Amino acid sequence: MATNSTNFYDLYRHGSLGTTLTDALDDLIGAERIDPQLAMKVLTQFDRIVAESLSDKVKARLTFKGSLDTYRFCDEVWTFLIKNVTFKMDNGSHSVVADKVKIVSCSAKRTDEK
Amino acid sequence: MSNANVGSVYDHIIQEVINAVRVDFEENGVEDGVLDELRKGWQQKLSQLNVAQFPWDPKPEPPPPAAANNAQTAAPPVSQQAATSYTQATLSPQTSAQPLSHQGSLHPGANGMGIKPDPGMVKTEPGIKQEPGTGMSQAGVPAYNAANAGRGGIAAQRAAQALESNYGPRAAASISAIQSGMAQQMNPAQLAQRPGQPPQQQQQHQAPQQQQQPNAQQQYRQGVAATMQQRLQSQQGAHTNGPNGLPAAQVDGSSDSFEGVLLRHDANGHPVEMGRVEIDNLIHAQIASRAKQMEGGGLMLPLKEATRHRSIANKSKATTGGPSQVDGPDDLMKDEDLDEDAINSDLDDSEEEKDDDEEDDDSMGHMMLCMYDKVQRVKNKWKCTLKDGVLTVNGREYVFHKATGEYEW
Repeated sequence: MATNSTNFYDLYRHGSLGTTLTDALDDLIGAERIDPQLAMKVLTQFDRIVAESLSDKVKARLTFKGSLDTYRFCDEVWTFLIKNVTFKMDNGSHSVVADKVKIVSCSAKRTDEK
Repeated sequence: MSNANVGSVYDHIIQEVINAVRVDFEENGVEDGVLDELRKGWQQKLSQLNVAQFPWDPKPEPPPPAAANNAQTAAPPVSQQAATSYTQATLSPQTSAQPLSHQGSLHPGANGMGIKPDPGMVKTEPGIKQEPGTGMSQAGVPAYNAANAGRGGIAAQRAAQALESNYGPRAAASISAIQSGMAQQMNPAQLAQRPGQPPQQQQQHQAPQQQQQPNAQQQYRQGVAATMQQRLQSQQGAHTNGPNGLPAAQVDGSSDSFEGVLLRHDANGHPVEMGRVEIDNLIHAQIASRAKQMEGGGLMLPLKEATRHRSIANKSKATTGGPSQVDGPDDLMKDEDLDEDAINSDLDDSEEEKDDDEEDDDSMGHMMLCMYDKVQRVKNKWKCTLKDGVLTVNGREYVFHKATGEYEW
């Protein structure tokens, strides 16, 4: 399991779930309840479990349209800055509009291959 | 677009993570309670973000509206308090200001020519309003005496006392002149000169005194001459007005211990006496600079010359602290300098801030984290297939298994 866990991106740590976990771990480290190495183990587990859960538990499909403002492809990571985006999910009738969305996307193949 | 499944997915992830690291915690000798604490802390922080409804806090579901209500109900009292304090704050200055204005309006009215209770007030109203105790008002006091005869007795007495205490028998002539109430001493020329610039009043004041006494009695003239001599001696000695015992001229402020016509603050902030020549130079410099302003900062001059003058002017401003600092620190000039700097720095800052804002918006606001299967581009049209993503838009969070996006660049 430990060898597998290194193959997952830590990209989801930047989402709300990841930042709150990091905060909670920081609190415990600050209170000297756990040591940082243990916190790093928790985060690597988190990387794996988030990726697995999103692919296994989530069935929702999403479409979105907008005008691309900036695109960047570096180290196999796509970064898009899209303006005036409209999101639509197939499970709901309402669409969500945002004036600006940043998309950070890692290659799905790399995790599969490794 | 609903995000109802987000709560269950996140709950699942949290449970999985906690279960997965339980072994690691045991291996590290960390007790189970800490793990539980981690889970609770995590869930609590996630709930605070309020990005979705979470199954672990069914209670917090009602609390958010309740909290909102509390905030709403709590807000009015605060605003009321603020309002009352505001009204108090606005009312109290009015009530306190009214007596002030009464004072201000009453005193000149009652005094006629105006006994100024505060020497500092003389500065604001230069001209014929002369402090009764200035000691040099041999001419002024009788005039005052004549103007309001009812009150003049006190002032005349005071002047006489002052003269007597200062000059003793020599002043007997002046005293008798005062007491005889010489109304004709006040001649219009003197009146006209007095409203002139307060800084030069002392000198102007003394000169006419000697000349403009055609109707004066001989005694009085002698007395005045004596006092003038006395004063001149004391001024040459550049002492504080010890022999007089009374301030020489208080028209330029309340500082009693200086004999100079004007005071200015030097670079260290110490008051420095200024002589007549210095003052003339100051005025000349100021007029010259005004003239330069009038001609548009040297628009009609060759560029070299114009810039040279300006740089010189700036230099002199920097070194001497400004030519017009005779009446205290020149706030206007400093403000202008500050403003110039502020404009520049604002311009610089705004750019940087804009960049920062963009970064913040990108990182904190609307964001999608996901994997990509395919990213295709035909000319300016992009198509991408994404999967396993988390999307944060407008404070809500969404998860998706697959997403397709089309956008034009």
